[in-house]
Amino acid sequence: MPLGEVLYESGGQLQHIYFPTTSVVSLLYVMKGGESAEIAIAGNEGLVGVALIMGGQTTPSRAVVQCAGQAYRMLPGALKKEFDRGEAMQRLMLRYMQALVTQMVQTAACNRHHSVEQQFCRWLLLSIDRLPSNVLTMTEGLIANMLGVRLEGVTGVATQLQKEGLIRYEDGRITILDRAAVEARACECYAVVRKEFDRLLPDEKMN
Amino acid sequence: MATPQSPRQNHLLAALPAEVYERLLPQLQIAPMPLGWPVYETSGQIEKVYFPTTSIVSLLHIMKDGKPAEIALVGNDGVVGTAVFMGGLSTPTRGVVQSAGHAYAIKSDVLRDEFRLGGPLQELLLRYTQALITQMTQTAVCNRHHSVEQQLTRWLLLSLDRLTSNKLLMTQRLIADMLGSRKGAIRTLEKMQKAGMIKYDRGCIIVPDRKKLEAHVCECYAVVRAEFDRLLPRNRNLFGEAPPATTQRRTQPDRREHRTGDAPELVGAAAPAAAQKRAQSDRRERRTGDARELIGARRPAR
Repeated sequence: MPLGEVLYESGGQLQHIYFPTTSVVSLLYVMKGGESAEIAIAGNEGLVGVALIMGGQTTPSRAVVQCAGQAYRMLPGALKKEFDRGEAMQRLMLRYMQALVTQMVQTAACNRHHSVEQQFCRWLLLSIDRLPSNVLTMTEGLIANMLGVRLEGVTGVATQLQKEGLIRYEDGRITILDRAAVEARACECYAVVRKEFDRLLPDEKMN
Repeated sequence: MATPQSPRQNHLLAALPAEVYERLLPQLQIAPMPLGWPVYETSGQIEKVYFPTTSIVSLLHIMKDGKPAEIALVGNDGVVGTAVFMGGLSTPTRGVVQSAGHAYAIKSDVLRDEFRLGGPLQELLLRYTQALITQMTQTAVCNRHHSVEQQLTRWLLLSLDRLTSNKLLMTQRLIADMLGSRKGAIRTLEKMQKAGMIKYDRGCIIVPDRKKLEAHVCECYAVVRAEFDRLLPRNRNLFGEAPPATTQRRTQPDRREHRTGDAPELVGAAAPAAAQKRAQSDRRERRTGDARELIGARRPAR
């Protein structure tokens, strides 16, 4: 899953369901004019391609790899068959989608009410939570694209957070140095999404 | 609200095969939906699921400081309380009646049991949830990029699509709350009234000519509309039965043409080529069947 790879295009037929392990995928909506806005991210906590299970086979959003790494993928047939048995797999998937909905809702609210810095911190934390380390390989341009804000906005925030020693940003790599401080700078949206994922998908096995 | 109510006025219930519908019918109870009534609260247990017929429910997200943001609206196209069958039983959102009318209510556990049988109800509700997700994501995008007037217009048109009349029983204040910017919304409503796009009259908003609104709306409306039409087509029955007579015909032109196929105007120039290449490699892989595979590595990590 190389950085920037498009897993599927808006309106295109989805071929595979992806289960990221060490990568993070961004779900974006791209407007006619080319502006984009991120609506959710999926990493090792979830999967990419819910439309294949929910019905409809495609979505108006685009899926792009935002952190390079690996994923397992499969053709939807076998998964759908397991899903249709209506057992643990179905319950788990539906719960994940419900948690994903929370993330999307929170993003809608966050877009409306919060500053670029708050959004940047939320986004950084949600991404890091889905990665095995606290380093994110990323460019400012991609972040700006994902947050749907101007590049200067992202650069300004990243520079400020670096100056204060919260993150290190070099060679397209962002490292969180002081997680507690970044959490304090993020808006409430991060905690809401985190809590909902923990509630719906606790780490213990579901019965 | 003088006309007699039937559960079939809700499009999801109308789309159910007769056998499932008749099984649910004794469990469905008509419920008045007064303006501003909180259908469910943030993180509260959802006791009943509502299928609106003549009302519209707004799903709101309330921030810690009390600021609301509207994320989706549900009318005769859908159901309020998806968390009941998706799992988790509650959601961090709040549902509030934004246009007064009626709905049919069913106990959460009854609906959940029917959902777990699999079959048409499950398929329908999942499709609906997928369409709802599109509405939510489009709202996120719209909140980011479009003017208050565009957002308000999108919201009015989506509301009208979910009602049988051109009259919304609601207050300016409630609209303002939903859009999360009270002053801006009220100013915009006044402007729209002056331009003859809407008529505001004692707790109700009338849209005399929806074409005027359609001329001002952002692309978000068409995207949501097309996705609902695609996932939950009204003219084609999903389960191979004759469509029930009570469903209302849409008279507006189909706006789907914007979004069919690869929609190359929506994506970067390099993307279609990449998609094509991917499709080719996918075809190759498909021959090998449903096998799981690891991407991005020459050999499995373990």
